Amino acid sequence: MLSYAFLVHALLGALLTGTALAVLSPFVTLKKIAYMGEALSHIAFAGIALALLLGLNLSLTTLLFVVGVAALIGFVSRFFRTEESNVITIFLSVAMALGIILIALKKDYSFDLASYLFGNILLVNRSDLWQLGALVLANLLFVLVFFKELFYLTYNLAVSEVFGIKAKPVYYGLLLLLAVNIVVAVKIAGIILVTAQLILPASIAFRIAKRLKSAVAVSIVIAALASVLGFLCSWQFNLPTGAVIVMVEFVLFLLTLLLCRKRN
Amino acid sequence: MIEFKNIDYSINGKSILQDINLTIAPHEFVAVIGPNGAGKSTLIRILLNLIEDYEGEVLIEGRKNTGWLKSNRIGYLPQNESFDRQFPATVTDVALMGLASSKKAWQRFSRQDKQRAREALEQTGIPHLGSERIGNLSGGEWQRTLLARALLTGSHYLILDEPEAGIDKPGVVSFFDLLADLHKKGKTIITISHDLNMLNKYCTFLVCLNRTLHCHTQTELLTAEHIHSTFGDGLKLIEKDY
Repeated sequence: MLSYAFLVHALLGALLTGTALAVLSPFVTLKKIAYMGEALSHIAFAGIALALLLGLNLSLTTLLFVVGVAALIGFVSRFFRTEESNVITIFLSVAMALGIILIALKKDYSFDLASYLFGNILLVNRSDLWQLGALVLANLLFVLVFFKELFYLTYNLAVSEVFGIKAKPVYYGLLLLLAVNIVVAVKIAGIILVTAQLILPASIAFRIAKRLKSAVAVSIVIAALASVLGFLCSWQFNLPTGAVIVMVEFVLFLLTLLLCRKRN
Repeated sequence: MIEFKNIDYSINGKSILQDINLTIAPHEFVAVIGPNGAGKSTLIRILLNLIEDYEGEVLIEGRKNTGWLKSNRIGYLPQNESFDRQFPATVTDVALMGLASSKKAWQRFSRQDKQRAREALEQTGIPHLGSERIGNLSGGEWQRTLLARALLTGSHYLILDEPEAGIDKPGVVSFFDLLADLHKKGKTIITISHDLNMLNKYCTFLVCLNRTLHCHTQTELLTAEHIHSTFGDGLKLIEKDY
């Protein structure tokens, strides 16, 4: 059944998206910034709408928009001494509203909101796959080079700085890389799969693995397994691929909750 | 030598520290005492540059603290260092943090680094806990882990923010014995504490703080008036009965 090139592309697309996000997932989960992934993916929506309205390069415009808004969130919460999580939620909802208004302004364009939420992994093309492949490599390289810094900054950022660890620059690097991942992955996989792939693989991995290093490896294996199983199920039962992958991963999560109870 | 010069710090117009002028000589065992909310932790956080928007100047060995801290480390034991109890780190992982600044980003900890961590854990009396998960430690074991980390920095300075919190009386005594030993070996120690009985036995210099400085003196010169002016009538609250 995989003789169709587009099916192979779709499977690889799901696999690479899952792998890329799963590499970052343990750090995002430990630092408790999985909500940032969701927020950035919503903000990306406004970026996509802006690029469509002005006829600009989609990926670049969205990336600049997401990074710009993320920097603005940091500035507003620090300068006005406002709770960061509240500022993020405000910007998230405003970005969604802005995106919908921008889409409405572009009258000749019919935008499929469902495909944005769930993605459309069956439409993955060769250039998307190259982008995703580069992303997997970039994430792996980042984690390999800065593993020590990532380990300590997720443990406690302020204390890491006291001990002379370059925690803040690496943390900003992680956030920037997260933004790039989301911009690339969201148009392929959709908001829901992206959010799920950032939180579920690591949540499962930490129930199985004792050390952070092995948790990263388990997280990648779980995401890859869920992607392939989810893809096959969605093909078999003719269901939306992204949504089925999320459900498969959730079942794996429930299984580990039940099987690894004593470690909790 | 550590010098605080004309330090003022306020949050939203509320004064936290006012006109602090204080010099701490090398090789002292300093206790900073004062009631809750006196600004003791704030003073330490200013020294460590964890608070930046204060007025005045902090000098360490004659250099501004910001500059000094770029090329030197201070062995710091924070109060209630917050971490997730499920965090997948061992005692050795946390202790090695004290050596991390001497490594380039891509450099892993070497066998020698791990050996040094083992020695530091031995020095703080927990050599058997190296591969224990941090979530499983008692209060005393945790403080000894943090002390091993502070020692691994190789700093002459040890700064402790209420190290006795969460430890039982025998644990506190043996922890302070450990500090006294390190003091004898040449460390300058600054500790925030509530336990006056303990301080009397171990410390050489006392700083009484309650937003302003009420005394800074050799321990033996401390008078009842100093204590009363710092704590007011709340003194009975701070003499701990274990």
